[in-house]
Amino acid sequence: MTTHGGFEPVFCTVVPPHVLDRLARNDDPALSGPARRTLVRDSELRARRRVTTEFSLAAAPAVKAPSDQPLRTIYDAGHGTELPGTEVRAEGRDPGQDATVNRAYSGLGATFDLFLKAYRRHSIDGDGLPLDATVHYDEGYNNAFWNGEQMVFGDGDGEIFVDFTNSIDVIGHELTHGVTQYTANLTYYGQPGALNESMSDVFGALIKQYSLGQTAAEADWLIGAGILAPDVTGTALRSMKAPGTAYDDDVLGKDPQPATMDDYVRTGRDNGGVHINSGIPNHAFYLAATALGGYAWEKAGLIWYDVLTGGELSPKAFFTDFAGLTVKAARERFGDGGDEFQAVEKAWEQVGVRIL
Amino acid sequence: MRIQVRRTGGFAGIERHAEVDTSGRADAPEWHALAERVLSAGRGAPPAGVPDGFSYEITVDGRAVYAADPRLTEDQRRLVSRVLKEGA
Repeated sequence: MTTHGGFEPVFCTVVPPHVLDRLARNDDPALSGPARRTLVRDSELRARRRVTTEFSLAAAPAVKAPSDQPLRTIYDAGHGTELPGTEVRAEGRDPGQDATVNRAYSGLGATFDLFLKAYRRHSIDGDGLPLDATVHYDEGYNNAFWNGEQMVFGDGDGEIFVDFTNSIDVIGHELTHGVTQYTANLTYYGQPGALNESMSDVFGALIKQYSLGQTAAEADWLIGAGILAPDVTGTALRSMKAPGTAYDDDVLGKDPQPATMDDYVRTGRDNGGVHINSGIPNHAFYLAATALGGYAWEKAGLIWYDVLTGGELSPKAFFTDFAGLTVKAARERFGDGGDEFQAVEKAWEQVGVRIL
Repeated sequence: MRIQVRRTGGFAGIERHAEVDTSGRADAPEWHALAERVLSAGRGAPPAGVPDGFSYEITVDGRAVYAADPRLTEDQRRLVSRVLKEGA
């Protein structure tokens, strides 16, 4: 009998998965063996739920990611709509046969990396929130969304869209909705909604650039470049560089995004045009980032992040409120009259957003 | 019976609209039963959706009900996907 023999039955009910995960990598096989077996058990999901419930009842912290690593779980909805579905890959497990699962897993990792390394943010909530994603949602489902707790990805119908995990910026986009929810919590309607969408596009694009090591000049500034089906006439779903030019297709129609306030679209549809007017703050970010050069997450991205998380941005903020705060943040972060402050101010001027 | 579905929002923000007129269709009774269940369980105002989630407006002979992903009932999901697939 080993000294650690008594651990095994305990793992099933009370040991949090991140502890199990660490144990599973322990050099001592007496520790790692039982932990590994527990991690692969089918009951792991149920165990985690029980653990989470018990912890929250006890007013202790819920399951959290370790200090510098993500805690990812990928689920498979099996083309149904039940969430989260069946667990198919837990943190630290090797890639399997399903490329969609593997892309979701690495996309979550890339998102976690950018927020941690560029902004010292520990996961979506800044407090080690586990990252969950469900793939293969519904049949031929042409969408991906954030449901307030996790990401959900459809496979696309193959005619208009293909697998929504194909673009890393789409994965980053969905997770950034989580960051926004935990920070400025911008209302998902009208201008605050378009700002919410723009935050997701901005950080989605930065996650892609960070993972590819691209400068602002090298980046394509496209959102969803990998998810359009081959027959669709277009390059992506949105272009931050040239809003309104991403696609022009007989089935899909034409990219409706404006680049400046002159073409602002007033509509009640799409939650008041959140995916349409986001083109304006998207383009402002592109202009500021390319004017400053280098890696976009280091300067423009940091300024935008400061505003999103700084506590001054109202949930009902309009473009002009947001613009004013970015100029202020650029001053505070990089000094008065510096390149950063001027580039940000000029970017908003170019898209026609007045700074009050 | 005229059944219309308008789907808005979604990651792409692209709107889709389709309509089925059940008159003369062999499967009309099935459509009517499904549509009536959706109407009676439906909401008269758009519910709060989730970021990038689809929103649906389902109109049956001029009467509209609303729904949003991911919280659709089985009947709503079936009706919406049938109309968008088979409708014009």
